[in-house]
Amino acid sequence: MRETMRKKTQGNRDKAWKIMMVLSILLLCIIVFSISWGTIRVPWEDTLAIIGQHVPMINGYFPSVNAEFQAVVWNIRMPRVLVGVLVGAALGVSGAVMQGVFGNPLADPGIIGVSSGASFGAVTAIALGLTSYSIFVMPMFALAGSLAAVSATVFLSMSRGKIPVMTLLLSGVAVSMLMGALTSGILTLMNEYRVREYLFWVVGGLDYRRWEHVYLAVVPILIGLIVLCLLARHLNVLVLGEQEARSVGVPVVALRLLLLFVAAATTAMAVCVSGTIGFVGLIVPHIMRIIVGPEHRWLLPSSALAGALFLVFCDTLGRMIFPPNEIRVGIMTALLGAPYFLYLLRKTQQSGGIS
Amino acid sequence: MTQEIIAACNTSIVFGEKKILENITCSISAGEFVGIIGPNGAGKSTLLLALRGFVPLAAGEVLLAGRPITTLSDKELARQVAYMQQEVNVGFGFTALEVVLTGRYPYLKWWQHEQAEDKAIAHRYMEFTGVEALAEKPVHLMSGGEKQRVLLAKVLAQETPLIFLDEPTASLDLVYQEEIFRYCQLISQQGKTVLIVAHDLKLAAKFCSRLLLLAENTMIADGPPEKVITKENLQAAYGLHAAVFMNKVTGNLDIHTYAADDDNPNKDTKVHIICGGGSGEKIIRVLYERGYRLTLGVIQPGDADANAAEAFHLSCLLGQPFSSIDELAAEENRRKISAADWVVLSDLTYGEQNIDNLQAAFTAKNLIVIEDTPIEKRDFLEGKAIELYTKLVKMPQVAVMTFPQFITSLEKNMLPAVHR
Repeated sequence: MRETMRKKTQGNRDKAWKIMMVLSILLLCIIVFSISWGTIRVPWEDTLAIIGQHVPMINGYFPSVNAEFQAVVWNIRMPRVLVGVLVGAALGVSGAVMQGVFGNPLADPGIIGVSSGASFGAVTAIALGLTSYSIFVMPMFALAGSLAAVSATVFLSMSRGKIPVMTLLLSGVAVSMLMGALTSGILTLMNEYRVREYLFWVVGGLDYRRWEHVYLAVVPILIGLIVLCLLARHLNVLVLGEQEARSVGVPVVALRLLLLFVAAATTAMAVCVSGTIGFVGLIVPHIMRIIVGPEHRWLLPSSALAGALFLVFCDTLGRMIFPPNEIRVGIMTALLGAPYFLYLLRKTQQSGGIS
Repeated sequence: MTQEIIAACNTSIVFGEKKILENITCSISAGEFVGIIGPNGAGKSTLLLALRGFVPLAAGEVLLAGRPITTLSDKELARQVAYMQQEVNVGFGFTALEVVLTGRYPYLKWWQHEQAEDKAIAHRYMEFTGVEALAEKPVHLMSGGEKQRVLLAKVLAQETPLIFLDEPTASLDLVYQEEIFRYCQLISQQGKTVLIVAHDLKLAAKFCSRLLLLAENTMIADGPPEKVITKENLQAAYGLHAAVFMNKVTGNLDIHTYAADDDNPNKDTKVHIICGGGSGEKIIRVLYERGYRLTLGVIQPGDADANAAEAFHLSCLLGQPFSSIDELAAEENRRKISAADWVVLSDLTYGEQNIDNLQAAFTAKNLIVIEDTPIEKRDFLEGKAIELYTKLVKMPQVAVMTFPQFITSLEKNMLPAVHR
């Protein structure tokens, strides 16, 4: 009996590995496809060759490809896809972590003010006319704005060394509304050109992303992802509730704060290179929970892969529908995500509660 | 002297302005199975939380194996005390095994994963509580009983010398309630100390080795169940009228609760009941609940009526087993009869041993004879009892009625009037 149980546990782990392998392969395929496809079609073997040439150690083994393809693949499409991968992974993992911290499958980083704070930061940068100095100005303002909003939310909900989840949610709503009001206020005072610039940012997109964006985001996002994945076992305990977690010796408040801030900062980094992209953090963890189960040690890495896959898929689809025009990825994720989200809500209602 | 494992010294707890617990002092030794009982809002759960160090103390301290609990780290505490809360919401489809494994948290460094040994421990305790077969089943799909056994396995997997349970049986069927208590008893017999907040007094009295009774934010009794569950304590804690007795059939402490009729004008009237063979039980009960002062006689030891008398702590004249009522008892019986305001003669069956009861009835000032069965069927003395009985019921101070009529008369407070 016990032996069969062990095998079954072993089976779960094998299953999770298999799923992650499949996701990785799919991700690589969609990356190669996304880079090859476009107004200028690059044969996929050329795409692979160009990528190979940029990988140290093995770069000598690939045939040379013409310069136009080189420029399109490496300077235009490659950074775009990489930003997509980073942002998707960041949103997927942060979403899963937030849902765990709040014990609610409908939570996402936006709920504690990350997105509204970032928007406020961005609109401030635009209003002050600072965006022309450097492409880093707006991301930095967005990051500062979202961290400020999250700090305000957490600070407002702290009482006697505790952070009650319900208070946290409500302060998140309040802070988001405040940030939204401030953003709208500034927008009404801005000239049309600047409003357009803000609008371009607020509807998240991956177009015109350059290597600078990749360099800006890669280190913080990777650190965030690694830290969150390392804390996955602790998150498993936290999900059972504050009292349960405390009784097995989890430093609940410290852990919750750490998870909130790392997830928020990771999301903020993503938002500041891509603008606000909805629904990835909401539906990706939810689908992965159905496929690999709630154990966060499997859920978080597979949500990273699935988030990246989903975002690059949406971006590619957005480019393919009306070429040469593009549908921005923030719109695509919402178009695909909103119906699923509604379906989720209805299902939750029918089953009489959140499961 | 066994070793003290956990103690509260003059502990008080205040939430905001409200005093929750005041001046609690108790010392618990290893291997005890302690039940914390008391009415709703008495602070039972809070006491458990305080002993675990989950709520700040307004005064006093809690000592865990001699050390103030505030000096222990989160994980150290979790290696000493396992705590099972009332209601755990296991969401997201976590399986039983995953939940039980969280009990191993205090033994792992933050970067470590559960080792094979931890899994073996989890499986062992799941086997103990009988949920091994459900290891891979999501907990939110389980029945209440299964879920509580999974959580109990989790608490056990923590392998602590102390185990606290806050009303683990609150939402369970009777079978599962008993089961949880039985597991706890077994655990305490293995040397662990178990503290349980319990709602069900009978279960607590049956299984626990010691009870703490809380009421109105303080502890009003502490000791073995038979010392704590008493008529007086229940009255003080719950404002409840109750008879506490040893149930001879089950061998357990039993509690009979009733709504007392405090307005009965005939309360404290002295009534003597002549009964035996179970014919008096219901009379005893209805009169006792209405506050009459009862004496009984003469009954054979071990008789159902004698047990009823014991349950209500009544003074009861006992004869010798399997022999006629002796002179001493007969005399005492007549003395009690003359001391009583009125006397009830139950629907007795007469034989050689108890015929004196019928004779004694003649001396009553006011006599109520309960007759549910004709005397012809109750005479085992070839007419002797019939003859006496017929004579008795013709006496002027005697009223004859069935038991239902008796109840009606009682309710209308007509009884003394019947025969005046």
